[in-house]
Amino acid sequence: MNETELFAKYRQTRDEKLRNEIVERYFHVAEILAKKFVGRGVEYDDLLQIASLALIKGVERFDETMGVKFSTYITPTIAGEIKNYFRDRSRLVHLPRRVVELKSAARRAAEEIAAETGKQPSVGEIAQRLGVDEEELIRAVEAGSVVSLDRPAGEEENGSFYDMIPAASDDFERLEQRDEVAAALATLTGDERKMVNLRFGEELSQSETAKRMGVSQMYISRMERRVLQKLRENLKKSMA
Amino acid sequence: MKELMTLCFPLGSDKMTTVRLATGGLAALAGLGLDESEDCKVCVTESLLLLMHRGFSAARLTFFLDGGLYVRVAGEGAGNADGAEEDEISFALLSALADSVETAQKDGKLAEISFRFGEKA
Repeated sequence: MNETELFAKYRQTRDEKLRNEIVERYFHVAEILAKKFVGRGVEYDDLLQIASLALIKGVERFDETMGVKFSTYITPTIAGEIKNYFRDRSRLVHLPRRVVELKSAARRAAEEIAAETGKQPSVGEIAQRLGVDEEELIRAVEAGSVVSLDRPAGEEENGSFYDMIPAASDDFERLEQRDEVAAALATLTGDERKMVNLRFGEELSQSETAKRMGVSQMYISRMERRVLQKLRENLKKSMA
Repeated sequence: MKELMTLCFPLGSDKMTTVRLATGGLAALAGLGLDESEDCKVCVTESLLLLMHRGFSAARLTFFLDGGLYVRVAGEGAGNADGAEEDEISFALLSALADSVETAQKDGKLAEISFRFGEKA
């Protein structure tokens, strides 16, 4: 069967077996094109996957009566999909290289220390091994990956993260929020309130806050996480 | 249209990396973005492959600055082969990536490919 007959038959029957046969026949085009875009920071296998999907889409859409050869039609389609992928990828928010490197170095160092000592290392031990500040290390380790704003905000809620971003607030809303924050803060202990004041009022670092309060930076880090969780829950309850 | 640089070299796959490197530098001089610059490199490589498949022994690659980057890739020597099966993909790729593509023939055979990236001044 020549190309025109093959596509004509597929358009009539939409037979999946026939579609697979066509995809296999033109798979080399996807391979050639994927190779041509190697070297732009995306692995060949990923490029081949994008090219293959574009090939399948192209087989579905191709109209052999238009008088164009399939390889002429599919090349810009695949190239376009690959270029779209590059564009979308470059739009993502990336963590700074230093943070990413530190994060993976911390993981490696933790494994090394654990193998040497037979116990899980503390943050201090890892920081010392890497020659970095504890706070910097904690920040790097806690830095998450990119999250879509369209992702559901919680298991039970129907809304997305995007829905939770407040609109430009007016003064009444701010006043209301201030009351709610004051009520939530009232549930904290004296130390916790002091920590919130230093960290978020005076905008001190965790180390500086720890020094002022005469405790370790790790202690502040843990307290901060606990307090934020507590405040979040209290605010959620008051807004319900 | 201001001529930026001309490269003359014997055609061979071992020259491609050097040519791509030079193309990247000239694309940066012309103010092309990273994506356009990468696409331009692909177009240069494809044009050289098309000429190689036609039996040309050398190539003259000229870069012009005219608001964007205008590239002319001409075959030198006798282009007496008929081309390869995958040339069709190269042509389609050139058209898909460059802003405009032109070809010129010599004795009825493809001998020159020109394309542009970026706005014409």
